[in-house]
Amino acid sequence: MENKKSSTHDRELIISRTLNAPVELVWEVWTKPEHIANWWGPNGFTNTISTMDMVPGGEWNLVMHGPDGTDYDNRSVFKEVIPFKKIVYEHISYPWILATITFEAQGEQTLLNWHMLFESAEEFIKVVKTYKADEGLKQNIEKLGAYLKEML
Amino acid sequence: MKARRDVYQAIADPTRRAIINMIAGQPHNVNAIAEKFDVSRQAISLHVKVLIDCGLIAIKQRGRDRFCEAQLDQLSEVSAWVDQYRQQWESKIDALETYLEKLKKERYGK
Repeated sequence: MENKKSSTHDRELIISRTLNAPVELVWEVWTKPEHIANWWGPNGFTNTISTMDMVPGGEWNLVMHGPDGTDYDNRSVFKEVIPFKKIVYEHISYPWILATITFEAQGEQTLLNWHMLFESAEEFIKVVKTYKADEGLKQNIEKLGAYLKEML
Repeated sequence: MKARRDVYQAIADPTRRAIINMIAGQPHNVNAIAEKFDVSRQAISLHVKVLIDCGLIAIKQRGRDRFCEAQLDQLSEVSAWVDQYRQQWESKIDALETYLEKLKKERYGK
């Protein structure tokens, strides 16, 4: 019930983190496919990036490979790219998300702000509910894995 | 048999969200609610009925008037789900953090 005045408060997610690395390094790790493949996606996933054209209108195609072999297609288009400062991209495969990431140099650290705007509150709720279902499944797989380890 | 209504159904509609916002601050009677919206009184009554069925509105009789009061406990269920989803993104940034540490060590040996 906060931010009542913002017209998007019911369909957005904002995450901020101060990273212990200079902005040049954070930018590099965010914008080069060989780096992004190393940290994108949930635990246990690997990534294949076929296109990452970091100019306005440029395409970004990333496939996440789930631990169970399922592939998740992520197609996006960059809207705005300001080196060491800002990236805006539109996730055009489901679910539609307009993501704005800002980088703020703070000496040897970088403040990262990650803003995700969903199409509507309805879509946002749907995604969140679906995620919960997926998360439950993931936890089950983790539990199974831990259990199998105990048996060895 | 009627399908069980839940909080998600309640907040899936923009008019219903606006009604909840309106009465969250102060109870209103149905007429007062209807006046604030550009839809028919019947439409508002129907929305109010859905909200009652979903447990987000309770009707309190005050003298001649029937007031709609917001019952917001259930909305915490929605925010719990949002929190779980947020956690997914937080862990993405955790992974970024770990990777940055690894790179720093490789490049600068610290």
